[in-house]
Formats: sequence, C-alpha cells, structure tokens
Amino acid sequence: MTKYGRQLGIGPTDNTSNERTPRNKLNLIPEAARKSFVPYAPGIHGINLAEADMTRIAPGRPRASGEAIKVSGKLMDEYGRPIKNALIEIWNANQHGGYTHDEDHSGLPIDQNFLGIGRTLSNSDGNYEFWTIKPGAYLARPDIGRWRPPHIHVSIIGGSSRLISQMYFPNDPHNDKDPMRILMGDNFKANIGKKYNVTANDFDCGYNFDIIIGGKNPTFFENDIT
Amino acid sequence: MTHSNKEINRLTPTNEDTVGPYYPPSLCENNSMDMTSIRSGIVFKPLGEKITIKGCVKDIDGKLSNGCLLEFWQPNSQGVYYRADTESHEMVDPWFTGYTRHRTKDGNFSLTTIKPGTADGRAPNITVTIFSDGIMRVVTQLFFADEKSNRDDPLLLSIPEELRERLMINKISDHKYEIEIIMAGKNETPFFDDLLS
Ligand SMILES: [Fe+3]
Repeated sequence: MTKYGRQLGIGPTDNTSNERTPRNKLNLIPEAARKSFVPYAPGIHGINLAEADMTRIAPGRPRASGEAIKVSGKLMDEYGRPIKNALIEIWNANQHGGYTHDEDHSGLPIDQNFLGIGRTLSNSDGNYEFWTIKPGAYLARPDIGRWRPPHIHVSIIGGSSRLISQMYFPNDPHNDKDPMRILMGDNFKANIGKKYNVTANDFDCGYNFDIIIGGKNPTFFENDIT
Repeated sequence: MTHSNKEINRLTPTNEDTVGPYYPPSLCENNSMDMTSIRSGIVFKPLGEKITIKGCVKDIDGKLSNGCLLEFWQPNSQGVYYRADTESHEMVDPWFTGYTRHRTKDGNFSLTTIKPGTADGRAPNITVTIFSDGIMRVVTQLFFADEKSNRDDPLLLSIPEELRERLMINKISDHKYEIEIIMAGKNETPFFDDLLS
C-alpha cells in the first residue's frame, strides 16, 4: 500500500494558488481513521423551497435581469448510486459578473433583484434542480488581464467526501484560458453543463450537471431525513 | 484535482474547484465559531471541558490566508460523533453537534468548543477542512499536544514522526489553546487524501 495520495496542482495564474497549495503530497488515511474524516452537518432542515429559485429575492418579487436558466442533474457516488437528501448550496455572479459579497470591489453593477445565493436538497433519487440567472464573465485579475469564465459555484454536503465545485458553460471563449480548467485537463468536460431546451414558460434554457462525489467513505446522508 | 480511475466500473468524480473569494458567509448558519452554544439563551450546555482554540492559516510566505472557509468536525466529550447513524446513541450529547464552519476574513480564527473525547481507538482530535481561493480542498486532523493517547493514534503513526508536531494544538493556559496551520512550504502542515484513501 502506498503512503501518499495526490499531489495537488498549482493553478498557473490563479491568485494565491502558488502561496497556498501544499508542496508535499497528500498523506493517505489509514483505514482505522478514515471514517472520522466525513463530517455530518446537522441543522440543514427547514429549507424553504423558494431558496432554489435564485431568479427572485422572494416569491412574487420581480425577476432579476439577464438570462433565466434552470440547472438540474443527479448526485451520485463513484458507483453511480444516487446520493439523496444532500445539501446543495449555490452562489453565482449576476449577469454583469458582480457578486453581492461585501468583498467584491469590482464596481460591477449590482442587480437589486438578484441575491446570488440559493440552497436546495437532492431528492430520494439523487436528483436536484435550481433556477438562477446566467452569470457574466468577470475580470478576476486586472493586473494580468485574467478573466473568469461564467461559472456557478456549488457546495455539496452529504456525499462520501465534501465537495465544492463549479459548473461552467459550453463554448465560452474564456473557458480555455481559465487556470482551474487547465488544472482539470480533459476532465474539464465533466464540469460543463449540458444545454437542453426548457419547454416550460419563462425560462430560457436548462443545463444538465450531474455531480459525482468521489471518495470511499460512508455516505451518512443516504439515511432518510425524517 | 482529478485522479486516475483504477477501477474500470467506477465513475470519475466531478473535479473539485476553488471556493473563490466570494463564498457567502451568510451560508454559514452559525458564523460565531462557538460550538458550545447551539441554542443561544438556553441554560442547557454540552458536557465536558469548554476550551478556546486560537488559530491562524498562513501561506508559503508566512502571511495570513484571508477568505478561507474553515470547517471543523469532532466527537463530543464522550468520544461520540453526532451523525445520522448515532443520533439515538445514549452517549450523544443533544447540546453538541461537533460541526461548525466559518469564513475567516483575515486568516485568524478562534474556535470555542468542548475538548473532544477518545473515539474508536483514536486520540482526541478535530478534523479541519480548508477551502480557499486558488486551491482545492485540503483536510487534516489536529491533536492535543498533552495527550498521552497520541502515541497510539493510527493517523499520527501513519506519518513520519517529525511531522506529527505540526498537527499539535498547544496549551497556552487553562482551557486556552493555539495552533498554526501552514498551507505550503517550510513547516507545511501535513494534509490527507480522503479521495484516494
Ligand atoms: Fe466566482
């Protein structure tokens, strides 16, 4: 059995990547300690269904400006088994590329109708869906002219390992130069949403984004929440 | 990052990606970093020794790592983790979940918690996951320097002896502890691979 796991890669031009990426290989976890590495985050109950519709601040309020999209997919483990009742937290920039975060000093316009934060749970088949405004690209590093392609941040609690990831959009001109995309190599395609038509009323289109949670740890959230 | 998929029938995990600089602190239900008070204003408190751990996350240059998302996970004072499969365990402390998360603005943190007990043959420890702009997730476990059970802990024994002290939380006075987590370079904190392990 090898002692070492992955060597994390340094993002070519990403802010802080050089400063914060461990230089040593990750250590493998012995079997006797593995289970203790899976956090169980209680207190996720009481999610309001409206939190999955990020296109409005609250039900009945005006729709935020930009392209309204649906994002849906399935949460699975490495064996294709659905991960049910997992908490999915979402945040993305508005159509201009601006965040409502108080440390976003880009000066890009803020849309008063777009909070940019949502939550939802996967259902008993592992499926999830939410609605948002397609984010704009933004200039992440004005000093070196580096753009971030449009992306939606997702955080998942409840799989066999903790996951924070991003969904990108197909054929965006900024995709290929993105440092994170370069680190992902060919597997970047797994992080691109697949566009589909939405026949229902007032959404422009949908994107399919299946999420595979890696790791061999037990998945506590497979238990039903009662 | 991606990893090679040795078992043919397994699906390749979705790539991890950076949390970015704009992880919304409002997603943390309780940003107070006090795990001993899950319901404010109630007289019931968790069992065990209440401690405060002052810590910081530093980069390769010794500078504080601002904007990190920190997640903490530990058993209660009896050594029992609060999980879906232990919710009705008689030793579960209803006033202690052992989980919190916090976005540190400047790289410093102060965690108020209960000193963890010994669970499943392990020395008392706290699992820490760090997400930051520019990196993927890293995860490790922190131990208490004054615990004799560290000698037999399987995780500590799995890494070279000279690295073990980098995972030690040091006592500075009664109920007060401190720890420095170094992301990269000299004295780099040992991190663990929970995808390949
Ligand atoms: Fe972003």
